This record gives sequence, structure tokens and C-alpha cells, in this order.
Amino acid sequence: MGTIAGAAAVSSACRSSREAVRPRGLPASAPATVTIVRAAAYDQSLYATVRRVLESHRLNVRGRSVVLKPNLVEFEPGSSINTNPLLVHAAFEAFRGMGAASVRIAEGPGHRRDTLDLADAAGYFKIVPGFEDNFVDLNVDEASRVYPRRQFSRLEKFYLPNTVLGADLLVSMAKMKTHHWTGATLSMKNLFGVVPSGIYGWPKNVLHWAGINECIADLHAAFPRQFAMVDGIIGMQGNGPIQGTAKNAGVLVAGSDPVAVDATCCRVMHIDPLRVGYLRIAAGTDDRLDGRNIIQAGEPIETVATPFELIPQTRSYRLEKS
Amino acid sequence: MSLDRLTQKQNADGGWPYRRGSSWTEPTAYSVLAMLAVGESERARRGLRWLRSMRRADGGWPVCAAVDESGWTTALVALVPPELLGSDVHRGAVEWLLGTTGEESTLVYRLRQYLAGNAPPPDQSAPGWPWVPRAAAWVGPTALALLALDREQERPGSSTKEVAMRLAEGRTFLLNRMCRCGGWNHGSVNALGYPADAYPETTGMALAALRGSSAEQVQRSLAVARQFLADCRSADALNWLRLGLNAHGALPDGFAPADGIQFRTVPEMAIDTLISAAGQGRNPFWIS
Repeated sequence: MGTIAGAAAVSSACRSSREAVRPRGLPASAPATVTIVRAAAYDQSLYATVRRVLESHRLNVRGRSVVLKPNLVEFEPGSSINTNPLLVHAAFEAFRGMGAASVRIAEGPGHRRDTLDLADAAGYFKIVPGFEDNFVDLNVDEASRVYPRRQFSRLEKFYLPNTVLGADLLVSMAKMKTHHWTGATLSMKNLFGVVPSGIYGWPKNVLHWAGINECIADLHAAFPRQFAMVDGIIGMQGNGPIQGTAKNAGVLVAGSDPVAVDATCCRVMHIDPLRVGYLRIAAGTDDRLDGRNIIQAGEPIETVATPFELIPQTRSYRLEKS
Repeated sequence: MSLDRLTQKQNADGGWPYRRGSSWTEPTAYSVLAMLAVGESERARRGLRWLRSMRRADGGWPVCAAVDESGWTTALVALVPPELLGSDVHRGAVEWLLGTTGEESTLVYRLRQYLAGNAPPPDQSAPGWPWVPRAAAWVGPTALALLALDREQERPGSSTKEVAMRLAEGRTFLLNRMCRCGGWNHGSVNALGYPADAYPETTGMALAALRGSSAEQVQRSLAVARQFLADCRSADALNWLRLGLNAHGALPDGFAPADGIQFRTVPEMAIDTLISAAGQGRNPFWIS
């Protein structure tokens, strides 16, 4: 079990490798690039698509440790709650092919205690060979006390899993979903899953009491070395993140800046990113959410944008002009 | 089978991990109870020593050494017999439980809501227990606290009005949080008016905590639990469903988890061991 000293050691270790994971040749202040690619279905073509997207971002993961964080919440047959396991396996294979020293899949579901049973029901054992050997249940992982560099909620500290704190690159593989409290749940909200339920409980209710939007921004600040890939092939609309209905959007959205990726996803969903609380907090300035300040690669937003249904409580989030 | 693997998992410090690595309070508490139930007294003694070393000044237990606050695992330690844990230490755990409620039941919160013109929702009429302080009460920690207080009430000389009151309130909390289908999930009956589904593991936990309840709803939930028992493949869920149904004399005769069910974590192995021991009259959760 880690301690404050342990956390410092982990944090220090991470800092030393940060530049190596950044896209080659880009200064730290460069505008974020977000890639949108069409993907019609969860099929074998995803493997080449994902590899192409990752290579286009010139991530240097050779010899580095990569943690893939899917969104694994609950399982209902025929539902679109969770990140599809085929997409996660495609990323797993792509990072290994790009020379990563280790690639692990990690998640800490917030409602169900038996994480592996949930992963099995969601198809991960079937799709990912040797899944259990490559998976970390973040709910009961060794944890360290962390004081994020930027703090937006009233929580003064977090206990976070060492597997994620120690990763050279955390890849948030979220599902593109509406959310009945925050408007949308994408790569940033997906980081709620790294908060260990073994410490905070099922659900991680402390985060709600401390402010959902603020805690999302806290967690974003706690993990500076991220890549985001959002599964919008089949997303969820309506009363997300669990009880909504499937929405075929047919896209993957990816990039090294989760704020820019999520803002782009919002536009794809016809949701106004400026109305999503955690995006405004994390961005710091509305300019950063402005589509003109995000370098768009792949498909133009307007060619893939499709309105996700919103429940009455979240209709104020609707983007009035795409 | 679970017992052999469980003994191998004990750490050098006397505690148990979830799967591997450092010791945590939940797996250690269940394992100590299991070791006591099967007569492994030396392993239990080392586990008890680890548990005592983790006790906090407020009488509660953190979930692990890195956490500087008492929480939900205090209920599990309170299940350990006081003559083994230490009577003062045990009493402190019970006092901690009696002094803990969900944040929504605190006077300060209720006053704020009153001043804001908000009436408390019906499912907040009785206090339950939170996972961690300064958060709301939920089904899991409430069920565990009720098991500990129920066991406490059965100990000669330990029953108090306060214990009886929190037991009654906690059971009301659980009945208030029953899903429309008759089972329980983590404690959210609906989301924005949409009814939520039950989970097998929390249904089993709630039923175990409602042992002896004559509430009409419990009969309906037993049918839900039996259906979960037939369908689910989660070791954790099967453990709690067996305990929950057994608490009401409703576990089908001769039931055993199907071949291929994997007891992967230490709590899963320990509770499986405890269920086997309970079948032989050594039940740490209640007096049969």
C-alpha cells in the first residue's frame, strides 16, 4: 500500500517520462488536434482504424507502460452502456504493435463489486485473449494519497490506484453517452472509474457530494499524460449513462487533449460544450472549447454530427447551431 | 478448496490482500472469521493482531493502511467476537457504528434542506450507513452494519436501546430502498423517475441483514433472490445470495455453486468458507 511518499515517488517517475509520450515534434503549447474517423460497426476493420488513428497522433510509447481505461459500468444485454471490448482490444494490439513495454486494461466500476464478472458479461473475456492476466481491478488496486496540482472540488486529496498513477500513458476509452446530471459523459467523466470503490464505496458517492463537475476537473488535472479515444460507434442517448437507448453515431473521436476531444464529441452529439460544467472548469477559458481553436483531423464535424436525444432535464445543453 | 487458497493468501504481516499485495481490512476481517470458524486459530490470531494494529483513535477502521479515516469496514471488524478482538476494541467499533449515519440524515443537512424549502424524500425517512463519512447512506454498508449490530444484540448483555433503534431504522432504510422488482441494487431505486434494476449481490446482502423481518416485501424479494441464484455466475453474488436466502430459511436444499464458478478474491474465498462452516453450525453472522 502506498503512502504520501509512495505517491510522490510515482508522480516523480511519471514526470520524467511525460515528454516522451507527447506527440513528436509538437511544442507543449500547440493547439490540440482531434481526429474523427468513421467506423460503421464493431468488426475486424477496427484494428487497422485504431492503429491508423494512434499513429497519426505520433505517440511515442516505445518501451513505455500504457493503461487502457474503458467505461465498464453495468451490463444489460443489447445495451450500449460499456465501451465495446473489440475497440479496447484493437487499442491493446495497436499499442503493443507500437512498441509499448506493457499494455494493461484497467477499470473500477462504481456500482457492481464483482468487476471480473461484469467484464465477462460485457464480453471482455471472450474478445480479449488472456483478459484476466492483462486486467487490473482498480477498485482494489494498491492506492496512494494524491493532492492534485489543480484542485476544483472541496476534496483536498484523492486516493488513486498506483497502476494508473504509474502509467506513462493513460488512455481514456469512454463511451459517447448523454448523462442525466452533466449533459454528456465522455473521456473526462470516464476517469471516475479510476477512483477506487474499495476505498470510496459502490457508488463513489463522495465525488457527488463534492461536486461532480469539479471532481471530473480534479481528476483530469491529476493525470497529465492522457490520450482519449471515445467510442461513438454506438453511443447512448436519452437517460444516460445507464438507462438510455442506443444511438448509432458511427464515429471514433481521439486526441491527446481530453478537453478538446470531449468538446468535439459534444458537437458531434449536438450538445453545447460551453454548457457542460466540467469542460468549462477544466478548460479554464472558453476559447479552449471554441472549435476554431481545435485542429480537426479526419472527418469534419458537420459530416458526422447527429443529434443525441436529451431528456427534459438536460435539454438546456442542446447546441443551437452546429 | 476455498480454505486452502485462503490460507496461502495470508501475508507475512498477518493480514490478507484482495488478491495479492498488501493487506486490507475487508479481506482480513472475513478471513479471520473464516479461520476462527474452521479452527485455524494461529492464522486467526495473526490476523487479529493485524486488525488491532489498524484501529483508529475514533474506534473505527480504515479500509487499508494508506487511508487516514475510518469507514465501512468497521462493521466487519465488529463481527469478530469481543473475547478475541478485545472487549474495549470491540465496543469502540460498535460505538463508531452507532455514531455514524449517511450525510443526508445529519441534523445540519436536514436543517439546510428545511431552510431551502426541500422536504426529505420518502426513502430518507430512516438513517442508514455510508461507505465513508460525509457521504450518503447506501445498501451495502447499511447491510453490513446491520449484520454487526444484529450479532451484537444476540450477545448476552450487549443489547441496548440504541442498538435496537439503529437496527429498526436500518431495516426500514433497506425496505425503503427496495427496487420495484423486489430486489436491491446499490441503493438507487430510480434515476430521474426511471425505475432501476436490482443486482444479485446487494439483494443477498439486504436479505441477510433483514433476517427475522416480517415485512411483507421480504417474501417478494426471496423469489427474486432465488431467480438470481439460478441465473448468476458471480462468486460474490452467489455468496451473498446463499447467506441472504439462508437467513430466511429459503436456500434450496443442497444448493451449491455450479462447477466453473471462480472464487477469485479473498473475500469471495473467505465468505464461501464461512458458508460451509455455517452449514456445520459455526455461523459468525448470526446464531442459527
